[in-house]
Amino acid sequence: MTSLPRTDVAAAGSPFQHYPRTGSYDEMLDERGDLRSHWRPFVHALETLGLSELTRRWEEAKHLIREDRVTYNAHADPIGSDRPWELDPIPVVVSLADGQAIEAGLIQRARLLEHVLADLYGPQELVREGLLPPEVIFDNPGFLRPCHGLRIPANRYLHLYAADIGRSADGQFWVIADRAQAPSGAGYALENRIVLARTLPDVFRDCQVQRLALFFRSVRETLSQLAPHNRDNPRIVLLTPGPSHDTYFEHAYLARYLGFTLVEGGDLTVRDNRVFLKLLGGLQPVDVILHRLDDSLCDPLELRSDSIQGVPGLVQSIWAGNVAVANPLGSGFIESPALMPLLPKLCERLLDEPLKMPSVPTWWCGDERSREHVLSHLHRMIIKPAMPCDKIAPIFGESLSADQRDTLAGQIRARPRAFVGQEQLGLSTTPALIGSQIQSRHLLVRAFLTASNDSFSVMPGGLARVSATCDTLVVSHRTGGGSKDTWVLSPGRVSTFTLLRPTVQPVELSRGGGDLPSRAADNLYWLGRYVERAEGAVRLLRGILVRLTEKSGVAEVPELTTLLRALTYQGNTLPGFVGEGAEARLAAPEQELLSLVFDGTRAGSLKATCAALQAVAGMVRDRLSVDTWRVLINLELPPNADRRRPDRQARTQTAAFSADYASTNSRTLSRVLALLDQMVIKLAAFGGLAMESMTRLQGWRFLDMGRRLERSYHTISLLAHTLVSAQPSEGPLLEAVLEIADSSMTYRRRYLSNLHPAPVLDLLLADESNPRSLAFQLVALSEHVENLPRESVPSRSPEERIVLSSLTAVRLADAELLATTDSASVRPHLRDLLSRLEADIPVLSDTITTGYLSHVQLPRQLGTQSLDRFQ
Amino acid sequence: MIYRVSHTTTYEYGAPVLIGQNLVHLTPRTSTHQSCLHQRLLIEPVPGLTSARHDYFGNPATFFAIQEPHRKMIVTAESVVDVKRFVPHDAAGKQPWEQVRDRVANDRGPLMLDAYQFVFDSRYIQCSSDLASYAAPSFAAGRPLLEAVMDLTRRIHSDFQYDQQATTLATPLCDVLTNRRGVCQDFAHLQIGCLRSMGVPARYVSGYLRTRPNPGRPPTVGAHASHAWLSVSCAEFGWIDVDPTNNLIPSDTHITLAWGRDYDDVSPIKGVILGGGHHTVAVAVDVVEQ
Repeated sequence: MTSLPRTDVAAAGSPFQHYPRTGSYDEMLDERGDLRSHWRPFVHALETLGLSELTRRWEEAKHLIREDRVTYNAHADPIGSDRPWELDPIPVVVSLADGQAIEAGLIQRARLLEHVLADLYGPQELVREGLLPPEVIFDNPGFLRPCHGLRIPANRYLHLYAADIGRSADGQFWVIADRAQAPSGAGYALENRIVLARTLPDVFRDCQVQRLALFFRSVRETLSQLAPHNRDNPRIVLLTPGPSHDTYFEHAYLARYLGFTLVEGGDLTVRDNRVFLKLLGGLQPVDVILHRLDDSLCDPLELRSDSIQGVPGLVQSIWAGNVAVANPLGSGFIESPALMPLLPKLCERLLDEPLKMPSVPTWWCGDERSREHVLSHLHRMIIKPAMPCDKIAPIFGESLSADQRDTLAGQIRARPRAFVGQEQLGLSTTPALIGSQIQSRHLLVRAFLTASNDSFSVMPGGLARVSATCDTLVVSHRTGGGSKDTWVLSPGRVSTFTLLRPTVQPVELSRGGGDLPSRAADNLYWLGRYVERAEGAVRLLRGILVRLTEKSGVAEVPELTTLLRALTYQGNTLPGFVGEGAEARLAAPEQELLSLVFDGTRAGSLKATCAALQAVAGMVRDRLSVDTWRVLINLELPPNADRRRPDRQARTQTAAFSADYASTNSRTLSRVLALLDQMVIKLAAFGGLAMESMTRLQGWRFLDMGRRLERSYHTISLLAHTLVSAQPSEGPLLEAVLEIADSSMTYRRRYLSNLHPAPVLDLLLADESNPRSLAFQLVALSEHVENLPRESVPSRSPEERIVLSSLTAVRLADAELLATTDSASVRPHLRDLLSRLEADIPVLSDTITTGYLSHVQLPRQLGTQSLDRFQ
Repeated sequence: MIYRVSHTTTYEYGAPVLIGQNLVHLTPRTSTHQSCLHQRLLIEPVPGLTSARHDYFGNPATFFAIQEPHRKMIVTAESVVDVKRFVPHDAAGKQPWEQVRDRVANDRGPLMLDAYQFVFDSRYIQCSSDLASYAAPSFAAGRPLLEAVMDLTRRIHSDFQYDQQATTLATPLCDVLTNRRGVCQDFAHLQIGCLRSMGVPARYVSGYLRTRPNPGRPPTVGAHASHAWLSVSCAEFGWIDVDPTNNLIPSDTHITLAWGRDYDDVSPIKGVILGGGHHTVAVAVDVVEQ
């Protein structure tokens, strides 16, 4: 490190030449403007790389981030849509000494807070001794009375603990907030690290940065050891409020990284004082629950009865000692800002030592003198709720008008106990890449601790967050701030441990996969259906557009009318080319076709199907490989212009189509055709990944059943609406049907260019070697239903009987007979067979859903009623 | 006085309930002037699991789970309770109400802390300036606590009308105050809210009321539901029960089941079910003197 040349960051050409000095403590530069020594390796590496190369690599990384959907649903965002996590590539570099000071301070604090919790949920001596005002307990929604007296092994109340820390102008660290209730951010810190290490591998290596994986291993070990039963191989679940939650991405990400099952309240049930996971194959006991629900929402029976996300009976099973919950319910109490001014005395009393890392100066208004202090210094105070409660945003005194300040003072006087005033810390600054320039931003770091043996271990890093501009001290994602990776330098050789490698403990080999929650099976099934629905629509649309663009009009292509009608039937998008006004639309089909592609508000449109597909994929995010997820994200059709910020990144090629479509009305059908071509390839990629990368377990089975069912439906629908009524010269139509069903090549190889209905029907209906034929789908379905988990019954299950009966009907059908027409030019045998099959398929779907997925009691977030055709 | 109490609650469901978890407060608690001589809980269908414990406030509570599909659940609690005539301590209600308020707020002894916790807001009861203004005329400066409380009780009894149709569990206290109608639970919540708004600790009491039979006629059977009233802290002199629905201080006519901050802490039956569809509830309470 010392051999590096001294760097003059202000020199022309340095990426940092425009980096401004402010009055705050700066993480990178000392008070004379010289580079702090622990930043030297990074700055040197960055100067070698150059700003333009950094910017270029960063553009690539942003693409990765978008695909990974590192998102944060900001509450204030009226759309509630996924917003990419604003990450910037310049880490905060933390010196070894600072890292050690933070570690010591936070471990002490976490120990102290555990003692406070043990007293609160036990003897409550601190109140009687006058160290804790009774109001802070009794008037605190974070104190959960039903959890009082629950025995917590070794009084470990904080298996996970996080603290927001900031640094004042004199270099001192301060704790700004304590987090014990589902502390979020550790997963984002991990994601930031992975992105950054991938973007700047050389820089990362040269800087000797401590790895995060050991911390997560501690988390896993700590949680495993909590298990009351099966301590060798406990089942640990991560309980999430669900995909609509702020930090759902992180829940899914962490669950996958740590190897826990991601569950929602509805996936769990309590029987005989034990918590079970509802799996396809039955109930499996759960040993440890890592919950991301607020404490009070975890059990609607004994805690907040209005919670719909919790597990009724959970508190009872904790009483019975059959399940461990991390953190123990009620730990959220220590998030109370009202505790902060009490900590120095509590630390002396409980740990017999002075508090190492101070809290930012905080005054609880329940105390009269503190209240007066807050009221007389309101202009430089941050006013926060004194107790952990439903997210009320802090109020910055300096930003209020005199009138607003008076109103606030009135509110404080009316309910003094409910408020604290916090001194506004003049947070330190750190460099951030803004556009293509390096600027300074104010910094707040969330540090993470996990209980480990009889102490804690601290994540060597953390989630750094920065202000949106250099003028504001407000650091929050809700107001548009960004995040960063945090690099804590290593004292020696960096441990290259990774959780993705085998751990020291031997693991029992397992090929099982019964761990599929019924809800996940349901979502995978519908994912399969939607993917295939999209493909069916794309193929038919493409077949139509090819014909429309090659010729100058509908009149030149007689088979078009039939195809357009089939399209309306296929997507159930009446009236379309069938119902009222069909004649006009058939004569000029462009408008209707574009609407069927791009109109997301229209049920059955390609865009609506893709949206449903992505929504359902999001719910099983943790069960899809990264590559599969990427394919699905890229299926996005042109976004509605009004929903997106005008971000150049987001204006992909496809966005241009929708702009054309919406504004200029120039119907560039050929460009839409190119888009459909791309989609066919992406959908094929999904199919390939599912085929090649998913283990043949129940999850894959349900996904594939969904696809096979939907494809059967498409094939039946296509044939029923094209070939049942015979046309005078059927050649072009037969060719189109073969092409849409992706079977032209096979046909040509077998029959050369002789187009006859009988061989076409044979190929598309009965040929079990053709992956597009109906028989092929039924054979696959038959294999699937035979392998569904069930109690061993000697006779065939209802779903087996339906598949077998349909398959037999197809196998027994005579292609020549099917192709024969009656006097009205109708093929009666074909008609009868298809209408029978068309009736069988929905029954099969119903049988599977009621048999296996009916105890899915959660509201399913699928499309509208009309999308669920078979339901 | 010894009472035999039978309390039956019948739930009928439109669709099968796959699993039902319940937490009940149906065992009379023992207190200074009451002891429970005998108690049993009969549940149909027979629960797969029953577990008894005490809640945070010291009330006996029973958790049970019915884990088989069922369309009907009958919970019958039978108890024999000995209730002594309650006579408040002479000095109890004589202290000026402000003295009780301040004593409880500043003393850190276990007894005072136990009282102090009942000054704060709870799920169904939030202090407000409206409640304080309604209470104010009864709380003249220096007035003895019991006198002030009974004046408030009398006013609630005369200002408010007993009306079973006017409110539900979800009706907020401010609506009860505005509309001046409700049932025993509303009046108990209301008076507790008034007292807490004045800084006087008050807790919610769930229980039964003796139904005095007319001379020469058999006891009224099955005509009554459970009852609710409140209890006011008199600092070191303990608690005095007050029944605003009947404008009286219960002596040996009220059988206490449980107490807490409000209904939410001590509701006789609380349950969460999976399935069930639309359901109906029927309650029958018999209180017979032995």
